Amino acid sequence: MSKDSSDLVSPSLEANLRALQGLYENCADVYYREFNMGKKKAFVAYIDGMVNIDQLDQHVLAPLMREGAADAADDAGGLPSILSVADAGPIATIDEGVSRLSGGSVLLFVDGAPRGFALGLAKWEKRSVEEPAAESIVRGPREGFTETLNVNTSMLRRKIKSPAMKIVPFEVGKLTRTKVLLVYVEGLAAESLIREVRERISRIDIDGILESGYIEGLIEDNPLSPFPQIQVTERPDVVSASLLEGRVAILVDGTPFTLIAPSTLFSMLQSPEDYYQRFMIGTLIRWLRYTFFLITLVLPSLYVAILTFHHEMVPTSLLLSIAKSREDIPFPALVEALLMEVSFEALREAGVRLPKQVGAAVSIVGALVIGQAATSAGLVSAPMVMVVAITGIASFMIPQYSTGIALRMLRFPIMFLAGMFGLLGLMLGVIAIVIHLCSLRSLGVPYLQPLAPMKGREMKDVLIRAPVWAMRTRPRLTGRSEPYRQPPGQRPKPPKGNDPS
Amino acid sequence: MIEKGKISALQMALLMHPTILSTAALSVPAITMEKAGTDMWITPALSSVVGFLTVYLSCRLHRRFPKETLIEYCRSILGAYLGKAAAVVYLISFLYTMGIILREYGEFIVGTFLVKTPMIWVILCLVAVCAYAVREGLEVLGRAAQILIPGATFVIFGMLVIMLPDMHLKHMLPILENGPLPPLLGSIVPMSWFSQFIMVSFMLPYLSQPNKGLKWGYISVAAVLITLLAINLSILLLFGPLSKEFSYPFLNAVRYVALADFLEHIESLLMAAWLIGMFIKVVVVYYAAALGTAQWLGLPDYRPLIVPLGFLAILFSIWAAPNYQALKEILGTELPFFALTMQVVLPACLLGLAAIKGGRAT
Repeated sequence: MSKDSSDLVSPSLEANLRALQGLYENCADVYYREFNMGKKKAFVAYIDGMVNIDQLDQHVLAPLMREGAADAADDAGGLPSILSVADAGPIATIDEGVSRLSGGSVLLFVDGAPRGFALGLAKWEKRSVEEPAAESIVRGPREGFTETLNVNTSMLRRKIKSPAMKIVPFEVGKLTRTKVLLVYVEGLAAESLIREVRERISRIDIDGILESGYIEGLIEDNPLSPFPQIQVTERPDVVSASLLEGRVAILVDGTPFTLIAPSTLFSMLQSPEDYYQRFMIGTLIRWLRYTFFLITLVLPSLYVAILTFHHEMVPTSLLLSIAKSREDIPFPALVEALLMEVSFEALREAGVRLPKQVGAAVSIVGALVIGQAATSAGLVSAPMVMVVAITGIASFMIPQYSTGIALRMLRFPIMFLAGMFGLLGLMLGVIAIVIHLCSLRSLGVPYLQPLAPMKGREMKDVLIRAPVWAMRTRPRLTGRSEPYRQPPGQRPKPPKGNDPS
Repeated sequence: MIEKGKISALQMALLMHPTILSTAALSVPAITMEKAGTDMWITPALSSVVGFLTVYLSCRLHRRFPKETLIEYCRSILGAYLGKAAAVVYLISFLYTMGIILREYGEFIVGTFLVKTPMIWVILCLVAVCAYAVREGLEVLGRAAQILIPGATFVIFGMLVIMLPDMHLKHMLPILENGPLPPLLGSIVPMSWFSQFIMVSFMLPYLSQPNKGLKWGYISVAAVLITLLAINLSILLLFGPLSKEFSYPFLNAVRYVALADFLEHIESLLMAAWLIGMFIKVVVVYYAAALGTAQWLGLPDYRPLIVPLGFLAILFSIWAAPNYQALKEILGTELPFFALTMQVVLPACLLGLAAIKGGRAT
């Protein structure tokens, strides 16, 4: 069927029409409109729903069908000069035409002309720019990426206006032919990094890319790790900040979720708001987040370990009250914890999936049945409900959703270890996770940088959130092309003295 | 080269610190107390001389053979047959050391925390985690040490600070009551721990800045010395002559800690911190054994050896001694001479031979 798809555009109108109709056989959404330009015959082809019909009528068909248009068309190269369409380029092959057509362009062929024209009149129904639902903040820009690629790139370009921001296109997926854009700032992102990402994207050979998750899964360094090695965001400000740090972003058509690489565990634990709020609260919140990161991982296991093996660690009065509440519980602490954690995970998953109308029902069922009723029925103890609740809240404190998932997953094996070997098992589990994290890399950058390997200067953005004027250097990722962000001495010092009192 | 990763000199120092300290902190105070009495706090300072000497020897050997580990330059110096024979003695001694370490760990855990758990499971779990770490290579070990060790050290020093109010300086007196001989005798046993600094010879070839190896090696010895001194002193000042009655005096000291009616019985926390040190210690010896065996056999990779070596080490840990008393006897009598011969005398001979031959690594 596609035997002549790479053929050159024929001067014969009939041949072009036949070629297109042959390719788009049984495609009801492709429309052809034949018309006369003076004495010449011509036709336009477009896909219904992807083209701005009003503009097609006004700016293409109307001028062409007017008397005299045929004279301009004598010289086929001059055709775009009478069309008031910004994006009007020649196409040499049918294949090229097909790719433009499926991108929403209108194809124009004139009899006798050696080339066709693609008119960029794409317009389809798209979601308007909204606040990203999964990454909401109090202070900061409220716009989020949409499913439409050029809207997303425009949002980035509006933030980084320098021409040093480069956007390199790729087409990935044999059937979906998805447009994938690699964005970086020239001079900040290391050459080797750009080359590596380019190579990894070009290596992808797959039938379709439906979401950036496909790309992530195909280019990450260690696919067998529970931890995400590429940051995902739908916020243009986060992407811009990463670009300015010398990272690269990968935008995929059809999804608001943009990939940022290389990324470290600490970049996953940062929220854009850390930088927008005052630096002290930014630092405090960061430490709160680190603490709850650990709590997500070990709190239920710690509770199980202490209750099963190390009673002496709990102060006597607290131990008595825990023992009193556990008096009627028929299960050992490990089973109790597993029961609660699994049902919490189920509640959470159900809460994400279920239609909004029944959402309230599930939260009532969750709160009453799992919390209240299970406690009074003597199935679980009240302290355990608390532990599970705190763990659940803690897991949602991590800004990067996928990192939170990794932790939620890993706390189950640790719980088993804690149930078997107490604190010893818990520590061994944590050590194993630390080793795994140490072995991870994100596009060549160690995952725990700057903690291990230690990079003293970069601690200013990990242990604390240094004030803006103190963050003089970029993190050193794979290269070091332009280390300084700002000259020294930016600390504001208002003049003092000579004030009228 | 089998190992492709690079570590920094700081990471090497951080890896070595718990390699010496984690078992030393447990049993050294009680053992030295028997010989040195109330002067036992001097012993770490005396025995650290061996640590400095070992680091010096390894660095000199390293300078002669910059790309080779202990196992490799055994052959370079002693020739094919004798060198291979010496190397195999080293490898077996590593396995034996690892077995002893695992047994000490197992005895400690089973004796104090998990009284009803079979020791073999406790040991097996640690070996499994260590095997995973060794598999990931030296670079990952260095990074893991960088993350884990500061926390563990902080916990231990924090406990020392909490103990401060209960310490009594009068327990130290009289100093050198019976002359300098008892502390000298007592320092022989800790020497065997300090001589384990020979393990740096497996890291020196992979340093990113090789010229800093000696400096950070010395810093590491000094850090071990300070920590051991602090632990010995705190035990002495806390318990006085009573210290030798305990198997694990530092654990008893921590049990003693109470803060604000809430922070009591934090020995489990000590166990957690100590486990980190123990893990690093086993991993360093395990890594040396695996890498050394691969180099000895001329294999392209040491990873296939990890599981069999781990299995052997578990067996060694069971064979090491019939019970804790016998283990303690071995630690206090046989092991110092064995360790000093293997880890100080033999490297010194190697260095001497190499100097006589005048040969540099090709």
